[in-house]
Amino acid sequence: MKCDDVRSKLTAYLDGELEDTRGSAVRGHLRGCDACRAMASDEAELRDGLRALPPLDPPNALWSGIQARLAAEEVADSERPGWRRALTRVAARWRPMAPQLALGTMALAIAVLVLAVRYRDSRQPEPGTAPLAGNAPTAPVQQPLAMMAPMPGDVIAELASDRADRTATYQHVADALVEDAMTARANWPDDHKQAFDTKLAAFKAELAAAPEGRGRDKVYRSMIRYLQNAAIRDEVSATSLAGTRGAP
Amino acid sequence: MEMLYHQFKRRVFGMAHRIVGANDAEEVAQEVFVRVFRGLAAFRGDSALSTWIYRLTVNASLSHLARRGRRQEVQANDEVLADVAAPPVATRDPGLANRIEVALHALPAGYRAILVLHDVEGLSHEECATILECRVGTCKSQLHKARARMRELLGPIGERS
Repeated sequence: MKCDDVRSKLTAYLDGELEDTRGSAVRGHLRGCDACRAMASDEAELRDGLRALPPLDPPNALWSGIQARLAAEEVADSERPGWRRALTRVAARWRPMAPQLALGTMALAIAVLVLAVRYRDSRQPEPGTAPLAGNAPTAPVQQPLAMMAPMPGDVIAELASDRADRTATYQHVADALVEDAMTARANWPDDHKQAFDTKLAAFKAELAAAPEGRGRDKVYRSMIRYLQNAAIRDEVSATSLAGTRGAP
Repeated sequence: MEMLYHQFKRRVFGMAHRIVGANDAEEVAQEVFVRVFRGLAAFRGDSALSTWIYRLTVNASLSHLARRGRRQEVQANDEVLADVAAPPVATRDPGLANRIEVALHALPAGYRAILVLHDVEGLSHEECATILECRVGTCKSQLHKARARMRELLGPIGERS
């Protein structure tokens, strides 16, 4: 056994922690090595000296100081809101589990991240395939101009939003639609022509009788709907006149 | 509560005294006992009560040193030595106790803690490992290094000195 080996085991040897064969080997080396023996002697003296250090009596003020601090902490507890006291109790109960909780939280965060990435990937369409209705992209898609134009049914809503000169606008639109309808009227059968003329005369009479403002606007809206139908279908049949919503 | 205090006051104060020094020992011991009394209800009995109290003492002492930025050096001075009574057991080196106290305070705090727990207080390696929250092997190796450092600081001891 070399000196370095012995010196690394001196502490364990002096504390009686070496098993018989290793203890015997250290003892044998110490018998023949003055330097290691001196070191062992020093360490034994040191160990005994440490063990012989006297106990230290605390000052008498220690107990009163502890009582004062306990009292101060109890006062602080009483002034603390109930939810904070409850939180402190829960934290104290779970503190020993802090390492496990930290690991669990980290694992959960990683799992959520992985799921989020997978979910995002699953929503991206394959190259060259059209998006399904259920997972259409949320960004606005550029539509053809024809699709962007308001449908006929939206005209009234647009006009109603123009509050500055609503009646004049209704009148302007109605006049334009009457003009279109009169152009198309040349190709209609006689009974349709007659029904159209009758209906148009009825609207004009109603307009003349209606009070200015909302009353007249209401007649114009009915008239515009009727004329829109006429323009779309290119026909003004007696049956359609009866079924038109809002028609007089 | 007072019985518990009287049972542990010497060991708690002594450990704090030897780890943080005379000037701060009372403050640390006070903190330890306040923690003990306020935490008794939550003490789960995973270890012996004494082990738990010693762990609070070591942790409070090391935290105190860290706060004060004095982890490495707490120089022993005349005031420190004046607090230390003469050793009850005679050794071959009559001034050894005082020299040990001085050398102890020149050690790094970690070495001081293991020497105080194992050699001064006489706790086992298993208890020291529980208190210091390390492995038994680490504890043994730290003790070996701490004693080697103490020997360097003290020089020859006993009849050769």
